[in-house]
Amino acid sequence: MVLAGGRVDELNVLTYYRPKSAVPFGGFARVIDFPLSNLLHSGLEKVAILSQFRSFSLINHIGSGAAWDMLGRYRGISILPPSTGHESSNWYRGSADSVYQNLDFVRYHTPEVVFILSGDHVYNMNYQAMIDYHKDKDADLTIACLQVPMDRAHRFGVAQLDDEDGAVGGRVLAYEEKPPTPQFNWASMTIFCFKPQVLYKVLAANAREDSSFEFGRDIIPRLMAESKRIYGYKFNDYWGYSRTIEEYWQANMDLLGPVPLIDLETWGLRTNLEHRGIRDYEPLKIGGAASISDSLIYNGCVVDGTVEHSILFPGVKVKKGAVVRDSIIFFNNQVGEGARLEKVIIDVNSSVGPGCQLGSFGPLPAKLATVLGWNNHLPAGTVIGEDCTVYPGQAAEKFAGEIKNGEVVR
Amino acid sequence: MRGQINNTLVLLLAGGVGSRLNILVQDRAKPAVPFGGLYRIIDFSLSNVMNSGLSHIGVLTQYKPLSLMNHLGTGDAWDFSGRTRGVKILPPRTGSKDSDWYKGTADAVRRNIDFIKAHPSKEVLILSGDHIYHMDFAEMLAVHRRKKADLTIGMMVVPKEQMYQFGAGITDADDRIVDWEEKPKNPRSNLASMGIYVFDTEYMLGLLEEERQEVDFGMHLIPKAIRRDRVYAYPFNGYWRDVGTIQAYWQANMDMLDPESGILPQDWGIRSNPYAEGRAADRAPARFAKDARVKNSVISAGCLIEGEVENSVLSPGVVVKRGAMVRDSVIIGDCRIAEEAVVDLAILDKLVNVGRGAVVGCGAGENIANREYPTHLYTGITLIGKGAEIPAQACIGRNCIVSPFKKADDFPSLKLEAGSSI
Repeated sequence: MVLAGGRVDELNVLTYYRPKSAVPFGGFARVIDFPLSNLLHSGLEKVAILSQFRSFSLINHIGSGAAWDMLGRYRGISILPPSTGHESSNWYRGSADSVYQNLDFVRYHTPEVVFILSGDHVYNMNYQAMIDYHKDKDADLTIACLQVPMDRAHRFGVAQLDDEDGAVGGRVLAYEEKPPTPQFNWASMTIFCFKPQVLYKVLAANAREDSSFEFGRDIIPRLMAESKRIYGYKFNDYWGYSRTIEEYWQANMDLLGPVPLIDLETWGLRTNLEHRGIRDYEPLKIGGAASISDSLIYNGCVVDGTVEHSILFPGVKVKKGAVVRDSIIFFNNQVGEGARLEKVIIDVNSSVGPGCQLGSFGPLPAKLATVLGWNNHLPAGTVIGEDCTVYPGQAAEKFAGEIKNGEVVR
Repeated sequence: MRGQINNTLVLLLAGGVGSRLNILVQDRAKPAVPFGGLYRIIDFSLSNVMNSGLSHIGVLTQYKPLSLMNHLGTGDAWDFSGRTRGVKILPPRTGSKDSDWYKGTADAVRRNIDFIKAHPSKEVLILSGDHIYHMDFAEMLAVHRRKKADLTIGMMVVPKEQMYQFGAGITDADDRIVDWEEKPKNPRSNLASMGIYVFDTEYMLGLLEEERQEVDFGMHLIPKAIRRDRVYAYPFNGYWRDVGTIQAYWQANMDMLDPESGILPQDWGIRSNPYAEGRAADRAPARFAKDARVKNSVISAGCLIEGEVENSVLSPGVVVKRGAMVRDSVIIGDCRIAEEAVVDLAILDKLVNVGRGAVVGCGAGENIANREYPTHLYTGITLIGKGAEIPAQACIGRNCIVSPFKKADDFPSLKLEAGSSI
């Protein structure tokens, strides 16, 4: 069960019209492609996606599921939006509630293990190894955990683990959801293996008795209180967690450099090439005056300018004399002649007119990214500073004067 | 219009050996030869058929069809799968006599009369899968109907000095073809047959029936039809290339780099079938290292460029290591050019490894034709076969051929003189 419905305001204008799991990532893919590819490579082929916030982009992206080999007689991917019915007709009130409202679907498949994970994170993990560990320990619940620096632990649900199985995992001795002053730092990655009967019972109790319906806040503490067998499965590799634009930008930049932390080829990332028709683009075309370094650029792009330390999604055009640095440009956008972009993220259906300046161009590199929501067309010569936010679909007049550092255009 | 269009059955002749493409067609038919980074030659014909709204197509295969059949798959990539659409592969079959290989274009069509009759049609459109072009067959069919022609032939305007390679049509003011010359030495016309024919189905069946011994359209049946029946030319002026020679294949690839050349696969709506390539479908974006230097090139997803690439076309998954240089070359999928190696004016088939410091296309000698195949390689292009491994520090001269899967042991020395072959 992939939790993909959450609207996460942290990603600013990028999540105004799509759930975080559908946010573009990696120069051609979406965030949810990481967990889906992990599922594929782990041989897990019965998948449900729980989604309620602006599901359209996600539904489009999943398609038939064939991209992740989840199509066939014994395989399948189902998108489960909230529904009305005999027993309930609620929106999903939280992650736990979204699973609870679909327990009929879960029961129908008579699972041995129910594997619940967030669709919002960028990482490469063999889930089968975790499930094997869960079965070995005869656990009621196993949580994938990653050790984070103590000063960041307050942002997560954190567990205290013993060393029962050394580097592989251990018993959860204590658990706290986003504690203001954390005492331990094994952060929950929102990846859970449940014994089905335990899951059914705890979700029913949660639905009956509680007022919030989250796995981290409600379900784990309930099971801890009942002294269930809860284990932590230790993960110690790259985990791209973005709750802010800066973190999202950084996770993207982790695709670059001499030895990228995110290695798409080795990880075997799959995406749906039918979505936005990216399979039909011709190869990247690089002009005679172009210069490209430390960048990731997909088919369909045409580069005649300079691209440094940036990521260009399919179909982006960078015209002569334009400079794109430390930036992420989504599908099909155009950067006009002589425009300069530094640390900018531009959502889809947008264009930057000739001679525009976006981001910082002082002696120091831009500290904070400037973000353009979708459907923005910047007239020639527009000037926008660093750390700015442009809401989706702003009228051209809004860009008449210089937009200073930190301003919001809405 | 769509209803009328679907009265047309398409036969795509994809059986040709294309032997002048040398080792590029050692394991695949010419239509299956990779082109332009992400395509195969046949994609152009198939996409033109799709974009013209035609939906019933038979692909006639013969020579090494495996790669081609794999590429066609269900036909889904070109929207040929569905209740009212379909693509059928038509290999040669044994009949009442034992020798039933296709002997020529007309013979191939004649041997599939059962297929033609099983798909009732008003016209049959016959194409070859060998050419790089963009053409609207709906318009050609409209002209064919308007002229009430028995046969309409797609004809390209080409320079007279090239006419010796083609069938030449001599037309009147109404584009009716009044005379025909097959591969003329002294051409009277500059209208070259593109091997694209629209026949009235009944007329074609009759023609094939009455001339049972004739096996080729261009050589035999068309001259006769011109004398007797209503045969029209459909003139075409766009980009069209027969990439049947190494030189023409290389040049058409290089045309991808020239915005003025007129070849625009994406604008033309050319589709390929990435799924047939397995991993090719899911390649990550091309990655450029900090010191990469790339200009005037076409680079596909999955490439990793650490060195220098200039005036070249790279298929998916090509790795150009630090200090390596690729110039004026066509590199087909998953080749690896090691550190400090140079590839200059060469065509590398897929999975070639060029060792550290090796030079493919070294020295002068562009004018020393290949000794074994002097008519194939004579302009300086060096050809490296699929999966070959060029040893480190080797020097492979101009107009050389290294056959598929050759390994270091197969090289008599590290220096291969211009015009030699392994």
